[in-house]
Amino acid sequence: MKKINFYLLEYAINYILRYKSKNIFIFTVLTLLIAVLASFFFVESSLKYEFESTLDTQPQIIVTNQKAGRETTVDENVIESLLNIKGVGDVISRVWGYYDFKHMDAKFILVGIDEFENQYNTTLANIVKNSELNASSMLIGEGVKKIMSQSYYREYFNFITPDLAVKKIYIAGTFKSATQLESNDMIVMSKDTLREIFGYKNTEATDLAVRVDNPAEVASVMLKIQNLFPTFKVVARKDLKTALESQFNYKSSIFLILFIITLFTFFIIIYDKSSGLSSEEKKEIGILKAIGWRIEDVLQARLYEGLIISFFSYIIGITLALFFVYILNAPIIKNIFIDYNDITNKFALPFVLDYEILLLLFLLSVPVYMFATIIPSWRVATLDADEVIR
Amino acid sequence: MIKLQHVSKIYGKDIVALDDIDLSFNEGELVILKGVSGSGKSTILSLIAGLLKPTSGDVLVDNKHISKLPDHFCSQYRRDNIGFIFQKYNLIPTLSVKDNILLPLVPLNLDEDDLYAKLEAVTQMFSIEHKKEITVKNLSGGEQQRTAIARANVNNPKIILADEPTANLDEKLSKEFIQILKELKSLKKTIIVATHDPLFFDLDFVDRIVEIHNGKLDRKVACS
Repeated sequence: MKKINFYLLEYAINYILRYKSKNIFIFTVLTLLIAVLASFFFVESSLKYEFESTLDTQPQIIVTNQKAGRETTVDENVIESLLNIKGVGDVISRVWGYYDFKHMDAKFILVGIDEFENQYNTTLANIVKNSELNASSMLIGEGVKKIMSQSYYREYFNFITPDLAVKKIYIAGTFKSATQLESNDMIVMSKDTLREIFGYKNTEATDLAVRVDNPAEVASVMLKIQNLFPTFKVVARKDLKTALESQFNYKSSIFLILFIITLFTFFIIIYDKSSGLSSEEKKEIGILKAIGWRIEDVLQARLYEGLIISFFSYIIGITLALFFVYILNAPIIKNIFIDYNDITNKFALPFVLDYEILLLLFLLSVPVYMFATIIPSWRVATLDADEVIR
Repeated sequence: MIKLQHVSKIYGKDIVALDDIDLSFNEGELVILKGVSGSGKSTILSLIAGLLKPTSGDVLVDNKHISKLPDHFCSQYRRDNIGFIFQKYNLIPTLSVKDNILLPLVPLNLDEDDLYAKLEAVTQMFSIEHKKEITVKNLSGGEQQRTAIARANVNNPKIILADEPTANLDEKLSKEFIQILKELKSLKKTIIVATHDPLFFDLDFVDRIVEIHNGKLDRKVACS
């Protein structure tokens, strides 16, 4: 095996140091470009993971009622009819909605549960299993707790009902769920209490969660429900996923613009780097050739030079991006993707390291830069040394 | 043995640097190429070093056709056989004396002991050992030249080519260089010096003086 020529490596390091200011500039710009690109990629993949995990907690089919083209409450009495449809395993009425806490410019998601019912997701099932909620207590997510504490609501919270009455609900504790997006801005209380807060009648529900025993029958069950209740809106989990993805992709287009700008900047550097060498640099190659260096020796030294700069830029750029996204929680960038409400935005991004992204960034930066370093040197090294040094 | 056979060199379309030159140099010989600027002396050195290819004719060194060698082998030939002392030294000004001297050995990937033994030998021989760590741009002209000579000798070449070696030196330093030349001659190296400095024309250890005029050999060559 060919021994690594450390003298050539030393020469390359020396070369970088001799053109210090130019190389520091290139290194800094390259590192920042990689860090910006990597940050966007990391935020995107973390949020995608979070959204997908959140969607997985949704029921297979959601049935809502519509009046004048707008969603309205569903009467729980239709559950019996739905359970008679062949293929339907279970139907659970859901009472949930949003509550504006205008004082803090925040929006909470309120979810009602009934301990005697089957729950449609693991978080709610765990809450029912581990806590006892009464008519005047609630469990809150960490984000809600933080917002409420800031307004000195540490033990209870006063909800205002549609008829402007105040409903005092005590905080029984906080809960955690599989995904932060799901739990951070969520408040869980009994269905009856929530009906009071929302001004619902006793049998009114926000929507119905339908479980189908055989997932292959989801489409046919949806059709049967739709035929039975033509005013209902029947949505499958996969449709929700498509809707969310299209919204997410729309946000990604902003990222795409930034991505193009970053790439454009990168290629300007590459173009500048590959377009030529200074007369001093050219002469040095001529001298090396004149004292016995072969073209491949010159190119190997330049290859090391390009590798050192681009590889360290890559490593430091990725490290900076990891720090920015997962330690600082990606300020600014995260808000491009999610502008749901103030609390949701405060959740910590889950750590998702996508090796394909790392490889893509590596291929975009290291080999391209190395190639750009070699081209002008190759052009000079193939000329007659005498012509270059004269 | 170095032979130039019917060598011509034309730069661009019509600048004739050498016109049908026939010249040979024997092993261990010290030859002075004499001529005014632009007469073609430097071109002869560049052709022997393989830094240039002749427009026509052939250059042979130890019966190898240097002018027909591909670039890869030409570099290898230079590294193994040639020590070139350039008129403007052609050192890398931002590198230290040590790094400049060791440059020809870098691609050889020698053992560290071997490498530093060669460095010690040449720096002592050309009295530059106390300046090893100094950056070349901070050296005087004479010191830069000794560094250039040390670099040309670090690979122990058989052939030393010197192009106007005293052009940038005062008389004292020029005489020092001539002394060095004498030492190199005593090591049985083939030395070819291209110069128009009269200091070289009366030296008793010079074997031949070849005069070049407008790219042609002057037949009134003075031989010692």
